[in-house]
Amino acid sequence: MLKYLFAKNEDIPTGTAAVFFGFSSIVWFVIGTGLGSFNAAKLAFPDFVMGNEFLAFGHLRQVHVHAVIFGWISMAFAMAMMYITPALGNTKLWSEKLGVWNCFLWNVGLSLGLTVLWAGITSGREYSDFPWFIDLYIALFIAIPLSLNVWMTVITRRTQGIYTTNWFFVGACFMLIIVFLIGNLPEFFHLTGLTEAYLTWWFAHNVLGLWITPVAAAIAYYTIPKVTGNPLYSHRIGHLHFWSVVVFYSTPAAHHLMSAPLPEWLKSFASVEGVLILVPAVAFVSNILLTMQGKWNMFVENLEIRFTITGCLLAIPLNMQGGFQQTRAINWYVHGTGWIVAHAHLALLGFSTFLEGAAVYLGLQTLMKRKLYSLTLGNVHFWLLLIGFAIYWISMTIAGLIQGAGKIYEVPYIDVVIAEHPYMIARWIGGTMVFISNVVWLYNMWMTAREGTVVPAGRMPHELAYER
Amino acid sequence: MSWVFSNPLVTLSDSEKNERDKALWEAEDLGGITEDNNRVPVPVVALVFLTVLTAFAITFPLWGQRPTAAIYVDYVKTLNSPEVQAIQDDAVAMQKIVDANKGSAQASQIERHPVSLDDLRILAPQIEALQKNGADLREYTVVGPQVVLSNYEGNKKADGTRERFQPWWDIGYTIDIFYLLAFFLGATIVIKRLPPSSWEPTHKHDH
Amino acid sequence: MNFREYKVGARLFSFALGSSMVITLLFPAMEMGAAVATDIALDKQLSAGRETGFNYDDPLMLGWGKPSKVLVSADPVSGQPIPATYAYVYPAGTPFPSGILHPRTLGSAGAGLSEKVGRVGEAQKKSGAVFLIKSDEQKHFYIENATATLGWAPDAVLKAALDENVAHVGAGKTQFVREGCWWCHTLLPEQTQDWQVFGAPPMLGDFNGESPTAFGSDRKAPDLLHVASRNSSKEWMMLHFFNPRLVQPHSIMPRYDYLWGEKDATGAKIDFNKWRAEYTEYSEGKRADAPEVPSFAKDSRIRDLVDFMLSLK
Repeated sequence: MLKYLFAKNEDIPTGTAAVFFGFSSIVWFVIGTGLGSFNAAKLAFPDFVMGNEFLAFGHLRQVHVHAVIFGWISMAFAMAMMYITPALGNTKLWSEKLGVWNCFLWNVGLSLGLTVLWAGITSGREYSDFPWFIDLYIALFIAIPLSLNVWMTVITRRTQGIYTTNWFFVGACFMLIIVFLIGNLPEFFHLTGLTEAYLTWWFAHNVLGLWITPVAAAIAYYTIPKVTGNPLYSHRIGHLHFWSVVVFYSTPAAHHLMSAPLPEWLKSFASVEGVLILVPAVAFVSNILLTMQGKWNMFVENLEIRFTITGCLLAIPLNMQGGFQQTRAINWYVHGTGWIVAHAHLALLGFSTFLEGAAVYLGLQTLMKRKLYSLTLGNVHFWLLLIGFAIYWISMTIAGLIQGAGKIYEVPYIDVVIAEHPYMIARWIGGTMVFISNVVWLYNMWMTAREGTVVPAGRMPHELAYER
Repeated sequence: MSWVFSNPLVTLSDSEKNERDKALWEAEDLGGITEDNNRVPVPVVALVFLTVLTAFAITFPLWGQRPTAAIYVDYVKTLNSPEVQAIQDDAVAMQKIVDANKGSAQASQIERHPVSLDDLRILAPQIEALQKNGADLREYTVVGPQVVLSNYEGNKKADGTRERFQPWWDIGYTIDIFYLLAFFLGATIVIKRLPPSSWEPTHKHDH
Repeated sequence: MNFREYKVGARLFSFALGSSMVITLLFPAMEMGAAVATDIALDKQLSAGRETGFNYDDPLMLGWGKPSKVLVSADPVSGQPIPATYAYVYPAGTPFPSGILHPRTLGSAGAGLSEKVGRVGEAQKKSGAVFLIKSDEQKHFYIENATATLGWAPDAVLKAALDENVAHVGAGKTQFVREGCWWCHTLLPEQTQDWQVFGAPPMLGDFNGESPTAFGSDRKAPDLLHVASRNSSKEWMMLHFFNPRLVQPHSIMPRYDYLWGEKDATGAKIDFNKWRAEYTEYSEGKRADAPEVPSFAKDSRIRDLVDFMLSLK
């Protein structure tokens, strides 16, 4: 990588930045889920590794969250953008060199930021935990260069129209920058009190709703038509999806603070809009599933399709939960319980990870022109990930319902802790399976780079037979 | 954008524009993938409208909103009446208060925010003190046994009164209706500008 | 090449995102900015200091540049007894909270009174100041700069106070944020039955000037907003932080023994390995009593954290 940082732009092979981003994202995924498994062990067995500040739960919890969001998910997005955006515009990435630098600075900045969080130095605001100098770094050296590359690639495209995926990429990059700069205003300008609390959740909700959800969905809009060869079912439903994301997904921040003294009208507004996130969800799921018409055998036979469709199907429970759990009628019961933890993992580890996984599998094989090293390991990855996630999700949902009942019926808190304990162990087992699956994935991708069958020019990797 | 205002949805996608879009659509090579132009399926439209109806139905403020102090004024009055004061048994006294206010305008609100006699005894002096100071009780909410100011009830006029109070069934609701109208209008315009859905693009040439 | 220009789309996009931001940012900001600070908010911000997340004055978040909350029962200038009252002591160089720097964040009444009657504008960071919470007859709460109005110097107040009357609340809140207590303990009782157990939810104006508010979202443990009303035993807190399972066998809270630092209250070195070994024997039933928990030093991080816990009434 270092040799490309100072090479001439023309000398850098096409796809270099995307390949670097792809491998970085897998490495961060291994680190992030490893930390998740470690943290879960501490919740199940509180005296597991003790006496050291830097191995304490309170220091590692936010490192897990940010390694996964900014390392795995966002870097997989960057990988997808650097690979898919030029492909859809029949052009090259605007600047491969900027992409390589972006990847380098991203890894450096994220390592620095996570080290700072690990030491306990934090803004104390959930999801915007990074202190403000790291936030500025992320905006200036991570988000803006990425957006610039995506925007310029779309502007210099060699097609007349812009495909649905690219609207989402262009729009989401813009919204990410806006969300990052406005959501961190309390840190930049020391805003305090209720404003600080509200902006914390404005950031937290919108970084999920305006960055992670639309970009993950946009990836599916590419992988499904590309691998199946079917045309996208409807351009019109794509419009409905895009516009409802912008309009509805940008508003429901206040539903995170239903118990705080925010204006009641704002809570009502957020609550109605919160149910309406089902509109983009309906549009997305129907468009993808209808595109699959006639190619459902690939759901079984093809790894990338299986990942994408699984993620897409997980969007259904995700949005049913997300839409309704935030209304006053249900929120009072589940707020602050493990139900929400389960929901967050359904969004990030279920829905979004499976979609990005497909993009990284497809992108790395295509760009390196190498067929996946081992289908067996790919299947092991898929099933370990899915079963591990399912164990996690189900156990945390049950734990959340126990907590909710304990809250409402005023059970002494320690009895809730005792009742939850089996589910904490189950959560650790599920999380560990996810971690192991990613170690397998990293090995499989590494071997693909070294020993995968070469894909001839003009062919897609999935058209070749597996050798192992 | 050629747009005849008296006939918007047709003129937004006039035939000349349609022909241009069709030619473009079929000639386009988007990295080897293509797009169809199917209309939004009826079940999807139905689901979207069902979602909108559900959103309003489930968030209708029957649950969870803090009650204003104004809804307990009648209760406080009855509490202080000699008949109620004469009753020794708390349960009977509370029943008497509830019965006396059965038909009041606040009955539906009270039903969702019931109060115990103990709490009412703590609330009563606070509400009376506010009334004596001439405060508008709709600006105050009741949280447990406390009456606290919530200053979120609309802008103040120069004389200190509020411009407009939102009724309990519309706190943050009308704004949603306007917001949704804007969305559906915008989405309709965007979708209607595309070529007609009866046209099926032929992705003839090999991408 | 004849590009489709997407002008309509770009305009619609900015209109859509813009109107969403007007409704969810601009309107609420105007309303929330008008919240009037209650006495709880004044106590919180004066005892916590300017900022308990990352900041210039305390980059490692070890509680540097934080005020002390002191219980004063005699006038530090004249020595005359006065009704016990809390004074918020900002020694020279300690950054002031936002209510002092920007009184308008206290809301209309509090801002005017703090400036005119309380003379907060005269407080100087260079020389430090002592603040009190006062109210007028209409129960409008405001901040009084006791250094200007009563001549109380920060050092004199600290010198006159016994250590047990000095609480390092701001440094403790910093530890609360730094050690991630808020990942499991919320500071936000909810609008449901759980007030009965955890106390009243925070009201409008209860946290003007507080940053970070650290409400927390994932409650794996009891809410702490009013914890000191339920349990104000310093001894219990000490045992519970050193090893929660000493007082609550089923607790899943981590041990915070590392906050004791190297030495205990007497200056003797703490042998953590020996303690842990003895505790293991105790938990396996090989010992009758749990080993003695070392009492913490005056300047240890655990002292700050316990002070903060006990301030949550």
